[in-house]
Amino acid sequence: MPTILITGASRGIGLESARQYAADGWTVLACCRTPDTASELKAIGGVSVHALDVTDIGAVDRLARSIDQPVDVLMNNAGQNMRPPRGLGDMNYAAWSNLFAVNTLAPFKMIEAFQDHLRRSDRKIVLNVSSVMGSITDTSGGHVAYRSTKAALNMVTKVLAGDLAGDGIIVFSIHPGWVRTDMGGPSAAISPEQSAAGMKKVVESAGAGSNGRFFDWKGDTIAW
Amino acid sequence: MKTLLITGANRGLGFDFTRRMAETGWHIHACCRAPVQADGLQALAVKHDVTIHALDVADFSQIDALKTKLGDEPIDVLFNNAGIMETNQRTLSLDHTNQMFDSLDEDEWMAVMRVNTMAPLRMCEVFVDNVVASDRKQILMMSSIVGSIGSNQTPRWYHYGTSKTALNMVMRNLAADLKDRGISVVSLHPGWTQTDMGGPTAALSIDESVGGLFKVVETLTPNDSGRFIAWNGDDVPW
Repeated sequence: MPTILITGASRGIGLESARQYAADGWTVLACCRTPDTASELKAIGGVSVHALDVTDIGAVDRLARSIDQPVDVLMNNAGQNMRPPRGLGDMNYAAWSNLFAVNTLAPFKMIEAFQDHLRRSDRKIVLNVSSVMGSITDTSGGHVAYRSTKAALNMVTKVLAGDLAGDGIIVFSIHPGWVRTDMGGPSAAISPEQSAAGMKKVVESAGAGSNGRFFDWKGDTIAW
Repeated sequence: MKTLLITGANRGLGFDFTRRMAETGWHIHACCRAPVQADGLQALAVKHDVTIHALDVADFSQIDALKTKLGDEPIDVLFNNAGIMETNQRTLSLDHTNQMFDSLDEDEWMAVMRVNTMAPLRMCEVFVDNVVASDRKQILMMSSIVGSIGSNQTPRWYHYGTSKTALNMVMRNLAADLKDRGISVVSLHPGWTQTDMGGPTAALSIDESVGGLFKVVETLTPNDSGRFIAWNGDDVPW
């Protein structure tokens, strides 16, 4: 069976994705910062749980060295928002730097560290969980820090798609929808189940034409 | 009298833009890291209404200090021009192997983000009231097609490219946030130009690039706010 590695798998979309891939018989490598408190994740049968802070470069390298098997799908799902959102007049620059580290640099590092695992696999798919809020075309005011980190992540997706195309690796950004998670809040439009199921379909139908693109959870293209 | 506040004014595109504005009679606050070494700018200040300020935009306390110096003086055009490819411009070749795939340098990437993405927002935070108090009310961001996700000519420089993509997002946010205060904000793409950053084999002379940018800026209207405009007036894809 194929293998998926998911970051930020202890809750929300990551947790639900772990559930759905495990239910389909995939090997699931689930990463989260504190496995000790990830009781819902550990309750899923057949999932191997790994402690990982994605901003800890050394820890990412150590995890990659410790996993000796192909990774068919790398789901860069771990991400953060700035709470409260700040903008012109009250920006917190240290928090913004931290947001770049989590949302932009960490997915890049994960791909560097797991590139050989991907090459050895059959599917060779990377999905960077981005957000429609990273669409420069559609942006309105507010949430400048979060938006900028996701726009930068989309650029990472685009450049990686060119760099790795020769290896047959497919990289795309995906907007999970506005989901009822800790980040999305209780009044969001869709459930984690709907979002994860939608993204799973997009992964199943991914091909060379998906490389370097930006989709939503239904598979529709989002403008940069 | 119209006033320009520009960062990175000592060389390349910033210097030539400053020179043209000075020659048309603008009052200019020209910022650079090391005024003592800025011979061209010093010479310009002898003949024209140019005041030189020491400013490393990565050091936000220096931005605050500049605000103390300028007070409430109206600023017609704030040009966030300063930008870096890397913290130490090590070579004039365009390899930039320190920001290719397989060589993540987190500190270097964050340093480029700070200068190219965060400092322009900090400049806007600090000087927005000065811009509001002016006639023109324009904020310019020196971006680059290297930050265009939709363009397929993108060189593979992760640090520089993502920093300019993020800057374009900052620009779009400001354009939306500052619309009600009458401020126009745009990103500019100068073309691949024969500067220290672009190298001697680049397609455009500084004169061609800045001549084009000068025209673009001269004819900007509030309707242009939120655009990403190339030196020749074309829109650049996001």
